[in-house]
Amino acid sequence: MEKIDLYKLHKADYVHPKEPVLINVSTGNYLTINGTGAPGSSAFDDAVTALYAIAYTVKMTRKKHGKGDYVICKLEARYWSSAGQCLSEIDKSQWQWQLMIRTPSSVTESDVNQAAVALAKKGKTPSVHQVKIIEFEFSSCVQILHVGAYEDEHYSIKKMQDFANKQNLTAKKQHCEVYISDPRRVPAERLKTILRMPIN
Amino acid sequence: MRTRTQQSYLSRMVNVLNYIQENLDNDLCLDELAKQACFSRYHFHRIFSGMLGESVKELVRRLRLERAALQLKTSKMSVLQISLAAGYESDMAFSRVFKTKTGLLPSVFRNTLQASYPCSSTACIRYKTKERISSFEPLIEEELTMNVMIKQVDDIVVAFVRHIGPYQACGEAWDFLCSSLAPEGLLGGDAKMIGVSYDDPDVVDEKKLRYDACISVDDSFVAQDNIGIQTIAGGRYAMITHIGSYDNLSTTYRQLFGQWLSQTDYEAADKPCFEIYLNDPESTEPEDLVTDIYIPLKENIHGKN
Repeated sequence: MEKIDLYKLHKADYVHPKEPVLINVSTGNYLTINGTGAPGSSAFDDAVTALYAIAYTVKMTRKKHGKGDYVICKLEARYWSSAGQCLSEIDKSQWQWQLMIRTPSSVTESDVNQAAVALAKKGKTPSVHQVKIIEFEFSSCVQILHVGAYEDEHYSIKKMQDFANKQNLTAKKQHCEVYISDPRRVPAERLKTILRMPIN
Repeated sequence: MRTRTQQSYLSRMVNVLNYIQENLDNDLCLDELAKQACFSRYHFHRIFSGMLGESVKELVRRLRLERAALQLKTSKMSVLQISLAAGYESDMAFSRVFKTKTGLLPSVFRNTLQASYPCSSTACIRYKTKERISSFEPLIEEELTMNVMIKQVDDIVVAFVRHIGPYQACGEAWDFLCSSLAPEGLLGGDAKMIGVSYDDPDVVDEKKLRYDACISVDDSFVAQDNIGIQTIAGGRYAMITHIGSYDNLSTTYRQLFGQWLSQTDYEAADKPCFEIYLNDPESTEPEDLVTDIYIPLKENIHGKN
């Protein structure tokens, strides 16, 4: 059976040009977990661990039962503020986020729930119970590749905002990141991240 | 550079080289070679190729060819006899290899006064008839910087699947292990993916190479069909992070053993190395793969025992 690789299959959703472009991201299914706090905080790291634990448990369990195989996609994250403020105006500890891993539509809620029960039984983080499978539509977005430290993303975000203004588009006060590089390996100045800004 | 330590590794390796020269026509057993120089059998081949720049097999093949060149020049043996003595099944096969090395067919080489066999050894080891080898130039790359950390590692209990065959084909063992452990909730969190390889691909037939695909578990894990449980012994380890394709792991191993270890006061312990894989090869570009390599060290520093 052919192994599904959604990241390659939906290449157009993951374009990463140096200058902003307007794209339409196709509807997709995602494993998600929500939370509040700065990226890299303990709550954030715990959520990343829980999300990956579910992702691999579901994938390998389905594989064992002959339900097909797929590649685990890159980690994505949506950030916003609960009061609808600009993210740059509030402290990072107030950031709301949703971590996401794009997943084939054949994966069901019951796959996810079973995985969470099994993981919790073995003493893995209880946050596994917070992981959900959702259908999500980003639809119209401005997208750019940011190269450099996460702290410097505001430069790229500014570029996207200017681009949106020029085209008379209003950006939602949130943005999404797709992590291409592994921060353990790549020095901060060379980290590659796709930034995505949904448009109203 | 710690001269005394390197002298010690050098003189021990010289013993091995002389043993190889003296036994060029015999089947060389890896354990016997390691014993000649008091090296652990698990690590001998890597220390050897790391210091000499070629494997035992490559060295033997080369010395036999150099001996053949000498025989062509100085003996009346036929090309066929020389071919067989060099370990080739026919003079055709021998001639082909000989020509790629020297540019000349054996018969032409024999009759060309100025023809000589080129030295391709970085360590300057050449075939000698009577003399013993007294020293060699160990391979040292000037530019090489290795960030090696000495770590105290606790015992690690692992569930494992034994793979026998070429190391590159261990994917099936991993698939079986991961898909068996997943429904039990044993993947994710702090579960580590560990590989242990036991044999030297230069010496052991690739169909017989042994590799364990391991995932760390707690003591409550019960062995099941084809999945065993074992403990990777804790202790002192040297750890280095390899970044890049798994295909290049052997280069890092060779540098670590041949260049780093031979210049320290450490001695590798007589148990296998292990690797911890930090990312998923399926969704990571080969050049972005991160692997921590652990080399077991003896508790006592050599020379001070």
